[in-house]
Amino acid sequence: MRGHRSVGILSLLRQAISLGADFGARSVESLLSVAEMVEQSVVEPGSLRRTPDGLSLALDNPPLRVGAFSKVRILVDGEAIPSERVSLRTGEGTPWRTAATVTPGWTFDLGPGDRTEIRIVTSAGGRAGPVRVRVELVPLAIPPLVWVEVRETPSEPPGAP
Amino acid sequence: MTAASPGRPAASLPILLTGLASAALLDGGGDLVLPREMRGTPVEWGGVMGQCVRLASAWRFGLRAHEIDASLPATRLEGAPVPGGWRTRHAFEGIDLVHEVAAVSSVPGVVRTLRASTAAGDPVDLSVTSSFVPVLSPVLVEGIQPHRFEVTTSRDALRVRQREWGLSVRSSRPPDRLLVNRGSWLGGERRGRVEEIGTEYSLRVAPDAPASLSVLVFGGLDRDLDGFDGAAREVIADPAGAARAVAADDRAWTDRTPRLSFPEAPELERGYALARDALRRLYSAPGDGMTGLVAGYPWYSALWCRDLGWMLEALAWLGDLEWMQRSIDTVVRFQCRTSLPILGGEAGELPMQISPGPIFLYGTSDTTLYYPRLMDRWRRHSGAVELPERWPAALGRMLEWAQARADPATGLLRNGGEAEEIAVATGDVARIRYGIDAPDTTIWDSADRRSHAVDVQVLWWEALRAIADLEGSAPSRPGPAACRALADRVAASLRDLYPWPEEQYLYDSLRDGRGVAQIRPNALRATRAGLLPPPLARAIVARAVRDDLTAPWGVRTLSARDPTYDPTAYHEGQVWTIATAWLADAALEVGEPELGVEVLGRIARLLADERAGANECFRGDRPEPYDSCFLLGFSVAPFLATLFEGLWGLRVDARVGELTVRPRFPDGWRSARLERLRVGPGSVDLAWSPGRLAVRWTGPGILRVDAGAAPGTVAAGASTEVAVAPTHMPS
Repeated sequence: MRGHRSVGILSLLRQAISLGADFGARSVESLLSVAEMVEQSVVEPGSLRRTPDGLSLALDNPPLRVGAFSKVRILVDGEAIPSERVSLRTGEGTPWRTAATVTPGWTFDLGPGDRTEIRIVTSAGGRAGPVRVRVELVPLAIPPLVWVEVRETPSEPPGAP
Repeated sequence: MTAASPGRPAASLPILLTGLASAALLDGGGDLVLPREMRGTPVEWGGVMGQCVRLASAWRFGLRAHEIDASLPATRLEGAPVPGGWRTRHAFEGIDLVHEVAAVSSVPGVVRTLRASTAAGDPVDLSVTSSFVPVLSPVLVEGIQPHRFEVTTSRDALRVRQREWGLSVRSSRPPDRLLVNRGSWLGGERRGRVEEIGTEYSLRVAPDAPASLSVLVFGGLDRDLDGFDGAAREVIADPAGAARAVAADDRAWTDRTPRLSFPEAPELERGYALARDALRRLYSAPGDGMTGLVAGYPWYSALWCRDLGWMLEALAWLGDLEWMQRSIDTVVRFQCRTSLPILGGEAGELPMQISPGPIFLYGTSDTTLYYPRLMDRWRRHSGAVELPERWPAALGRMLEWAQARADPATGLLRNGGEAEEIAVATGDVARIRYGIDAPDTTIWDSADRRSHAVDVQVLWWEALRAIADLEGSAPSRPGPAACRALADRVAASLRDLYPWPEEQYLYDSLRDGRGVAQIRPNALRATRAGLLPPPLARAIVARAVRDDLTAPWGVRTLSARDPTYDPTAYHEGQVWTIATAWLADAALEVGEPELGVEVLGRIARLLADERAGANECFRGDRPEPYDSCFLLGFSVAPFLATLFEGLWGLRVDARVGELTVRPRFPDGWRSARLERLRVGPGSVDLAWSPGRLAVRWTGPGILRVDAGAAPGTVAAGASTEVAVAPTHMPS
């Protein structure tokens, strides 16, 4: 796996060099700026946390698409979490709802800059080391799903020893 | 306290003001606000764009006098366009206010001017607060609104930065107070979360002493901002002059385009004028040496090269061959040279989208295929002997890219897997990954149309023929003869493998050797190209007009009878005006001019209803825009091209001084005129009456005119008349 990752990095490096050679250094800078902006503007840095019954995560923006979403699915380390064990809200003070309630008739709506807080009931929160959380959203207007995946070691809840 | 609205409601249609690198979006009420439904949810799209970057959202003016607060829209009396801008009149606490907004061309930004006067009484102290939400995100990054910014002040400007994007605020008088997140700020430098930025100004208004305030917001690439200092000062000094300059450029451009007259179909004349004006609004020279037309507003305001391909076809007929050449140059400049999976690019591929930075991305199955045909068209319309410097080598790389995707047995091009490459390329190195599960990227890029979509094959066939026709300009390998042979093979495969006898139509695609049994409008492209036997071509048009595919307000992307049809799904049932134009074009091609004109008339009526907007798409079950940009090049350019190429039946070859005219006018028509059609360095006027065509040619040289009966010639500065063959009716 480690070797695979190195190959990936080398491939990216090769592509960055090609990009700079063919289109100028600014093309590399711009690509990095966009990538960095997307990386830092969607998943709130440090928001993946352990909770007493699982994990929590916060998004500062919708991932790649805005709009009304007719389905939300969460996977943790590749395993789909039952939708009634996933709760969502669009920010502090707004009501929580479970992912099971998200349907074409009662969509989960996200505009630019809208925040999403997610609580996941899962035993994976108790495991040591990094976890991979994948958020999948199906837009009502443009059917193919959009997804964002974060892989990191969750931080401990406030007050944890 | 808040004043109650004494005025009329704001205009219900969006207002778009553009300069070559800027745009203002507003609802006509006074402020730059424009809530629009997008992808099923309301999104605020009012504000300022510069250099294809969304700079500011919801730019508002707040008023305060006599300790009474009001928003500008709450005081509105009326609104109307002015040259290069939009003007509203307001009344507030005995003050008459005239507010004007304009997107300017000398800087990538928008200027607002408020002139305050009072007829009588004591002087009034008026406080004006200008506030906006900073965005500073390239338009192509859908939905991302950064929250953290760096804000700095200098002697005469306020500046906001987010990574490599920046904006500057300048005003005709210094602000009395700065506001960040609605709280006072002393200025200097501030970094962190910023939701709103404001500047407050004091104006004293007396009967003999009107007051005015101009505020300019401009920006895009932060590195370019300082270079606009001088021009920004000029705009602030004379905002009306800056607006008039945009209007003058527009007028000069319009005056160079053809004039059309259809006495029997005045709605088409009106539609032509509206579509041409709408296309002009999409002109863009956003910086970084880029030229083109943005795809649409509000959320596709970047150079999308597939959309640009459709618009450049129209530009050829409108005679703006210089803009066409520079646009193709821009696209070719970003042709992928080596495999770049991180951007979805393969060697030889042309980009899907470009914006200043430069930021560009590949990953479509079809964009590259448009450009050989466009190069050929540019050469025929301009009469140029040689192609511009970069084009021949670029053509060679395009051909190699396409050949690598072609099936060796059938010659058909493969579509699919383009977007997956990006996720795979970054999969093992990124902490956070994103993706859209789009299995392929044809013109309906949210639909799975793998593996050999019918319209992609038509584009491939056209590209091969164009490369062959470019002969000496094209690279020697594999050569014109081989290109023609491959084009013939593609055409034969299309005729053999795509017919769907049960529906008298074409399969939408081929997958695993079998036809994909979906009724989509894309089959009409094969009809238009003349690739099919006439009986089948006519049958396809007849099938397309049935009510499962064609609604009274246009053509759906998928038959309503299909099990996967969804009236609100972008490419699985919504009505798209580009598809409606395809139907008109195909009907004219198969010799059904009444149907063709009737369908063109539907588009013209939509344009009139939308007051020069041109919605991208409508619900499949009712004539209601849904998830729709209010102006899309797709919805005007094919309509324009069809008027010239489909209805007038024009073909230009200025290299040999030849104009072919095959009018497809309905039986009852008695006359039609076309003036100022550009043919190389000259222009031609045509006046048609049944059986006759009067031709006037400005020259230089001799123009040969073939109207299907007895071709004639006309010398420079002279007129002639030629016989016109009856409308072609394939048998």
